[in-house]
Amino acid sequence: MTQPFPYLLLPSLWASRNRARRRERGDGTRAAFFGIVGLGVAGAIFSGAFWLTVQLGGFADFGDYLLRLGLSWLFLSFLSFLAFSGIVTALSTFFLSDDLRLLLAAPVSARRLFHARFARTVGLSSWMVVVFIVPVLAGVGVGHCAPWSYYGLSVLAVIPFVAIPVAIGTAVTLLLVNIFPARRARDILMLMGLLFAGGLVVLLRMIQPEQLLRVESLPDITDFFATLQSPITPLLPSFWAAEAVFASLQGHLDALHMAALWTTACGLVVLVAAANERWHFTGFSKAQEARKRRFTRFEMLTRAARLMPMSPIRRHILVKDLKIFLRDVSQWSQLLLLLALVLVYLYNFRVLDLDRNPYMSGMIKNVYAFVNLAMAGLVMSTVCARFVFPAVSAEGAAFWIIRTAPVSLRAFLWSKFWTGFVPVFLLTELLTIAANHFLGVAPFLRVVSAAAVFFMSLALVGLATGLGARYPRFNADNPSQVAGSYGGVAFMIIAVLFMILLIIFVGWPASMFLWYSANPRLILPAQTALLGAAGFLAALVLSLSTWWFGMRSGVRALESME
Amino acid sequence: MISIHDLVKKYGAFTAVDRVSLEVRPGEIHGFLGPNGAGKTTTIRMIAGLLKPTSGRILVNGHDLATEPEAAKASLGFIPDRPFIYEKLTAGEFLRFHAGLYGMDDATVGSRVTEMLELFELARWEQELVESFSHGMKQRLVMSAAFMHRPQAVLVDEPMVGLDPRGARLIKDVFRRMSARGVAILMSTHTLEVAQEMCDRISIILKGQIIARGTVDELRALAGDPNQHLTEVFLRLTGGSALQEIDEVL
Repeated sequence: MTQPFPYLLLPSLWASRNRARRRERGDGTRAAFFGIVGLGVAGAIFSGAFWLTVQLGGFADFGDYLLRLGLSWLFLSFLSFLAFSGIVTALSTFFLSDDLRLLLAAPVSARRLFHARFARTVGLSSWMVVVFIVPVLAGVGVGHCAPWSYYGLSVLAVIPFVAIPVAIGTAVTLLLVNIFPARRARDILMLMGLLFAGGLVVLLRMIQPEQLLRVESLPDITDFFATLQSPITPLLPSFWAAEAVFASLQGHLDALHMAALWTTACGLVVLVAAANERWHFTGFSKAQEARKRRFTRFEMLTRAARLMPMSPIRRHILVKDLKIFLRDVSQWSQLLLLLALVLVYLYNFRVLDLDRNPYMSGMIKNVYAFVNLAMAGLVMSTVCARFVFPAVSAEGAAFWIIRTAPVSLRAFLWSKFWTGFVPVFLLTELLTIAANHFLGVAPFLRVVSAAAVFFMSLALVGLATGLGARYPRFNADNPSQVAGSYGGVAFMIIAVLFMILLIIFVGWPASMFLWYSANPRLILPAQTALLGAAGFLAALVLSLSTWWFGMRSGVRALESME
Repeated sequence: MISIHDLVKKYGAFTAVDRVSLEVRPGEIHGFLGPNGAGKTTTIRMIAGLLKPTSGRILVNGHDLATEPEAAKASLGFIPDRPFIYEKLTAGEFLRFHAGLYGMDDATVGSRVTEMLELFELARWEQELVESFSHGMKQRLVMSAAFMHRPQAVLVDEPMVGLDPRGARLIKDVFRRMSARGVAILMSTHTLEVAQEMCDRISIILKGQIIARGTVDELRALAGDPNQHLTEVFLRLTGGSALQEIDEVL
């Protein structure tokens, strides 16, 4: 007897079950860490939604109007995310998954395969939205004292709302794969997605949402939300979902919009299933064809590396690492997102209105210098976790080449260190100098910050390289997986602790010095000066020992690796 | 050239390799045979420097792998059973990178790369990314790299896996020529025809211990039948009686 389509989903469920059963070192810590962070975030979202709903409740009809607009806006922002996520996930589930060869060779009907894969695509591409929307809708419901039917109707609205963009995304994927080879399409999409995300971050920042927090700009809030409305909005599923949820909040059933959601979802699934039956196999066949991809030779890179004062082995490892990085779209495209975040970071300091209180601006500017240092440290930790920590794991299954070559693992790891150190240091140093310039902080603090960033770079890049060698994941599919592993999380925790200590050690003596400089009539006591020097010394020792311990631990781990 | 003495590898209570000693002389092709799980790959990986022995000594070209790992590895070429290479490099770039790791002079690398790619029939793929290669092409590229720095000893783990008959023939010819030039080759294989055809001497490993060693004729004599094919000799020495069981099951 032919099993119904959910049978085809069993392997992934069994795999998840087996992963949960088979515990590895650090799984408990990781689960606890992510569990606590997840609950904290969900709690914060719930509280935020609850607080906002209660506040809006105080404005009677106007509050309801804003809540309705807010819901519409919330669903609208998820709609585009779901469509894009649907395209990327469908590429993998329908065309690139390894298990497709097994399933397509088996006597499984195209329709059954479609339903199973579509269910998987919906699950994979929407879980993040669902995880976010549940505490929001719960917060709104509790804040508005909604009837119980609200929660049931919300679930009924969210299911088709999620299915519609994913179905559209699947159809787009089907079209793309029949035009381009699947892997090429994936690269194009990844790039488009990151450009989209980066652009969105910059745009959102440029509309200056902080103005909404100013009392004098309150009348503009309605205008602000109104700009998000347009004549086509009522035709979008996000509008239907928002209307259905808002009606259920008032204790009504908005049958029209609920029906629009369900009929559109079901109709699209039927249509996409039919298209899939017709064109899936052609696209899948194309995805199997050998790729003859165009790529850049980077001859300049090789020539430039020859001019650098380094040993030939380090030079070869550096050139190899850079070429691999620059040829992998999933790697270098993340730099675009980083660039967008850097622009926003600098823009924030540029638009800070510190002169509103002239009596305080001098002090606040200097306090901001330390905030800037902490932020630069966080940027550095994130960049290290994403790009430096996975450096050893990036060797993957080809690591045997290094291990069987006449190259000491110490030289190999130091080569990885310097490859990471130079860009991380330059990026963070430029960020700090530029931000301090925009802020107009005292010259003394500029020098202290610049020096601190140098030592921070040594410590964090050393720690990331070392821990990356200590906890490698050679079988990971991509560097993000490596960064999210036990070792990656451990690195982030240690990095944050390091940052806190460093800022305390540097911040206290620097503030003391500034305080006495601003008050020339006061004389700096010798004991305080000594304590200040000890603070700087402690920061120096902390940085150098973190660097040294990190690298030593990494070299030892590589040397004892089997 | 490759000399191992009382090599032991233990995984907890399990002994994967148990006091194995072996000598591969210059110009010799030495076959390393054994059933699955007998300890062949573990031994090869220890000689290549990928696994740390529990005890014992490994010398390559007179250099102790434990105390002079870089000098020992510089004399060695290693061809693993699965050809994992950097997918985002071209064949030419991979060989140049490999040459750099082995400290080859930049001035001679270019001509050597061309030479090796031509020898292994990969010249027209020099500028292609490795990710577009078939398994057999990757295997040939790994072999090009292994011979690139003119090693004095070569370790080969399952050389014929994934090669077409033309590729297999090419590899056999290369191995013969290299051994004629004095390169010592230690080759682990399951393909007994290849071992019979190419190896000067053969060691058979079973449950981590060498149970027989000698030329094909010496092994035949040891098995008690001088006219037997190597497969029969191997099965007899390693206690293989599975064929009869297969008949019973089928």
